[in-house]
Amino acid sequence: MENDKSSQKIVDYIQNFARKHSLFVLAYGTGCGAIEIPATMTSRYDAERFGIRGAATPRQADVLLITGYLSTKTLKRVIRVYEQMQEPKYVIGFGSCTINGGMYYDSYNTINGLDQYLPVDVYINGCMPRPEAVISGFVKLQELIQDGKANNGELYRKNLEHYRTNQKKIIKNWKMPDYNW
Amino acid sequence: MTNLIKENKLLDAVTTAFKIKGKVIRGRRVEVFADKNTVSSILLFAKKQLGYIHLAHMTCVDWIEQREFEMIYTIYSPVEKITLFVKTRIDRENPVMENIDTIWDQANTYEREMREMFGIEFPGLIGEHDFLLEDWDQIPPMRKEFDTHKYAAQTFFSRPGREDAKDVRDEISKRSGTAVPDFAKKYSRES
Amino acid sequence: MEDLGLKIFGAILTTFMAFAVGMTYGGIVRKLTARVQNRYGPPVYQNFLDLFKLQSKKTNIAHGFMGHMAPVWIIIAAVTVLMFIPILNGNLWFPNLSFHGDLIFLLYMMVFGSLGMALGAGQTGNPNSAIGVTRGLSQMVGYEIPFVLALVALMIQYQTTSVQDLTQIQHDTGVWNAFANPFAFLAALLASLGMYRYSPFDIVGAPAELASGPVSEFGGKYLGTMMSGGAVFAFIKLTLYVHLFFGGAGNPDDSGILATLTGIGILLLKTFLLYMVPVFYGWINPRYRTEQAIRYFWGWPTALGIIGVLWAVY
Repeated sequence: MENDKSSQKIVDYIQNFARKHSLFVLAYGTGCGAIEIPATMTSRYDAERFGIRGAATPRQADVLLITGYLSTKTLKRVIRVYEQMQEPKYVIGFGSCTINGGMYYDSYNTINGLDQYLPVDVYINGCMPRPEAVISGFVKLQELIQDGKANNGELYRKNLEHYRTNQKKIIKNWKMPDYNW
Repeated sequence: MTNLIKENKLLDAVTTAFKIKGKVIRGRRVEVFADKNTVSSILLFAKKQLGYIHLAHMTCVDWIEQREFEMIYTIYSPVEKITLFVKTRIDRENPVMENIDTIWDQANTYEREMREMFGIEFPGLIGEHDFLLEDWDQIPPMRKEFDTHKYAAQTFFSRPGREDAKDVRDEISKRSGTAVPDFAKKYSRES
Repeated sequence: MEDLGLKIFGAILTTFMAFAVGMTYGGIVRKLTARVQNRYGPPVYQNFLDLFKLQSKKTNIAHGFMGHMAPVWIIIAAVTVLMFIPILNGNLWFPNLSFHGDLIFLLYMMVFGSLGMALGAGQTGNPNSAIGVTRGLSQMVGYEIPFVLALVALMIQYQTTSVQDLTQIQHDTGVWNAFANPFAFLAALLASLGMYRYSPFDIVGAPAELASGPVSEFGGKYLGTMMSGGAVFAFIKLTLYVHLFFGGAGNPDDSGILATLTGIGILLLKTFLLYMVPVFYGWINPRYRTEQAIRYFWGWPTALGIIGVLWAVY
């Protein structure tokens, strides 16, 4: 059976509908923004009605939330966690520190922009963003998934050399397994 | 001055025992200036004899013009509720300070931080050298000769378009073409 | 020949119905939990969306032969047990294999699924999985004892081990087993709290406690299969309870379409009401540790089971 255009579209539509309405968020707070996550998930600003659930391990998760600043020590672990997730996977950057460094822009230990090391889908700005802003970020991610534009897992795999050079400039003692998934 | 009786009594007890200078800053705050060789004796004396059993904090200040580091130990007594600061000065070119790990266990963490951030040596300190920073190959970063802004601009990639110290409402009005609202005009830096 | 075709059709229909009903019950429970906690919840079909999403992952990570086999064994166990329980009493459309198996066989087939998950989790080498599996199997040792005592009480009272016969006897005498042997019923009900893995006995797969225990290294298609296997198992156990204690559903004399549909409706109503007991209990309780759970199961439920056996003998 050849790749029929209309049947492929229907399959894509159903797959994207299921993917956008059931997002498993890895329960990993990398920075100070993680204090807004419990507020979003509990009763007042209910995130479960969108299908957003917490997942315990990176093998079960779809979305990686980088909440706030990343020091070089954390960046090494976050890269390892990101490479363990299965495609399709999405990264959301929380707060101003992932956009341009935030209030730690001149620190010797925190990175200034997340885009050079990991591919990012949605940025939510604020310091910290309120739960309403967090939910609007997730809605934007849902729109991107429905349009089929959230393929950054493949992008990472194809441009691995570019990301690796950037990461190795900062992480000097590179003793990590190769990316083979 | 009648309600500073306890603080003055404490000051007298410490200064006459060790022949050093001190001052009562205000109620419940007393500071003492000691020589670096007698610091551990003062701390042990305060802990055992006067009841100052809690080491609250330990820190270091970089006096770069005077070429000295100043170590400040903060101890507290829950019975008298007075905070005592013990201050010393050590040499900046070759900083070596005594290890008070045996008096209070929590000093281990503070001393490891100071060894990494300022480069002060504590003989007999047990603990890994990589404490907060991983694979650090520059000078200890909390010293004042370390230019952190330059280092950050060199190592990390900044996003273009960020400049400091701009007024938020002026920028919004410039970018969107609307005027600054009336109640905010008096804070504007343009006028 | 026609009989065989009808039986195969009934078997396939049973499997799909168990799958759909099990997942929907999960969705309803999530919605009700959310309402109890004063918030809106996910839609009722949320479990299906989770399953579709997990099945449509593009890459797969497996850890060896047992990692592939573990979800398959759970499905095998679920379908096998399903085939040996009569869904509707004596119906021509859903007869399954209800005579050739009996309660003792069902008892040990139910453990087969957990064995599969234990072997698969052990292959991954993650210490979280090993601890989770140990705790799960210890808890199973706990709740199997009152469960077996209750079933033995029933078997002694009516001198039969076939589920079909037990349901028929309730139909003939007109009295449900829940009232004919109340101690056995209470023991089995308390044992069932441990089977459905709701609070207070959910230490096996708790995400915050243990990085979700046995399923911690499974992702994508394997995780989807495991989660749906859990839902199907819940429905199977509920149906077994309804047939043993609440008179089953369906009329053995009538096999028309209307009677079948009424039978299915009554079955769904009874299983849902029975499912609400562990769910209600779970909403208000914190979690037990493993040794507290075993101590609970070997206390009152076992005592009630023993009294039930004595009641059945005399």
